[in-house]
Amino acid sequence: MATRARWRSAGWQAWLLALLWLGHGLWVMSGRWPGLGLVKALNFISGPVLKISAKWEARRVARSQTTNNLSIAEKEIAQLKARIGLFELQEAREGPRRSEAEEAIRLLGLKQQLPLETKAARVIANTRTAPFGGLVIDQGSELGLQPDQGVIAPEGVVGRIWSAGPRQASVLPLDAYNASTGVMLARSRATGVLQGTGPGKAEIRYISSQEGVQVGEAVYTSGLDRIFPRGLLIGFVSQVRPRDAELKVEVSLSAPLDRLYLVLVLPSKPPIEVSSPAAPPAGSGKGLP
Amino acid sequence: MSVRHAPAAVRPSLVCSVALVGIFFSAPWPSLQAVFHVALVLGLAPLETVPLVAGLWAVAAGWIVEGTLRMVPHPGGAAWVDLTLALTVLFFNRFWPPDRRLIWWGRLVGFTLLHTLLSFFAVALASGPHPLGRGWLWALLTSPLWAMLAWRLKPTAHPR
Repeated sequence: MATRARWRSAGWQAWLLALLWLGHGLWVMSGRWPGLGLVKALNFISGPVLKISAKWEARRVARSQTTNNLSIAEKEIAQLKARIGLFELQEAREGPRRSEAEEAIRLLGLKQQLPLETKAARVIANTRTAPFGGLVIDQGSELGLQPDQGVIAPEGVVGRIWSAGPRQASVLPLDAYNASTGVMLARSRATGVLQGTGPGKAEIRYISSQEGVQVGEAVYTSGLDRIFPRGLLIGFVSQVRPRDAELKVEVSLSAPLDRLYLVLVLPSKPPIEVSSPAAPPAGSGKGLP
Repeated sequence: MSVRHAPAAVRPSLVCSVALVGIFFSAPWPSLQAVFHVALVLGLAPLETVPLVAGLWAVAAGWIVEGTLRMVPHPGGAAWVDLTLALTVLFFNRFWPPDRRLIWWGRLVGFTLLHTLLSFFAVALASGPHPLGRGWLWALLTSPLWAMLAWRLKPTAHPR
């Protein structure tokens, strides 16, 4: 059995050797005499393999290209993400400064519109949510501030100075329960007293039930309290309900009391009428009465 | 593991592979490449006990020589001659084994000359006229070295 296997192996080897020798010989002859057709025969035999391998190669190249493009795209995405992260960080850093700058620009515009000697101050604390809380600004009596000076923002009236220290002053906002301000309604010209009722809200007292007050009507300072001149925007009527002989008029304050950065402090006892009254900010009011 | 310590059946294959690598890397120096080439085809490949393996070593040597030269438009002639002569030397070694070094060396010198002529003829047949070069002369001059190496590696070698 082993002998036969060895013989069979040797036989195959001999055949392979003969084939190798003959193949080489024919190949060499085909170099001298191309007419032998050996090249054509080899081409014919290898044609299908070449076609398949060409397709395979094209597919491999395409896949490689796709992979390459994908990796390039992934790198670009990673770079863009890094840049976006950088921009977001920069935006987060610059955001408060920019909003403060924008508010300062608006405050400057308001100051130029008001023909009064106003003083700018920065809100450094907001304790409105605490009992008897208010706003604290970074200017005080050293700058000439004293109680009962009006405080305004570009969006509307903020309140009045309650007490003044040397370098700080506390402001009583309009929505404080103990705050009272003389107001008038834009359309009906009815005057009353605004009293705070809670965060961002106030109510007008002493308006006769005979007055025709509409929801959405603008509310301005009347100037009668000698704290604010006439015509500064306070807010808009949000609800009107009859109550005995007078109307209960609820007002939504226009000044964003919970996110104030900069305010203007009006002079003490300003004139009732100013020659060029302030206009409400664009889109937030209906104009001066 | 050095060649001397390798098993006897493996030694020829190890030396042949070294010679093949030598052929490839000595391509910039054709004379040296001719020495490696002739030594592998005539001296080392016929030491293989299996004729097919010997033939494959020789064919590989021929193709590498012509492939690295890049001078012939239709390669294959050298491989054909290498195969033919490696098998012939193997046949001679098996049926008329030389019992002396001098005979062994003389026979290899003769085969070297035959190899030169047949190579020139086969390459000319396949690719047309080509420069013969002086590689054959270097192969002849170094024949004592590689012939004695083959003698020592020969399975039935018995130094005198």
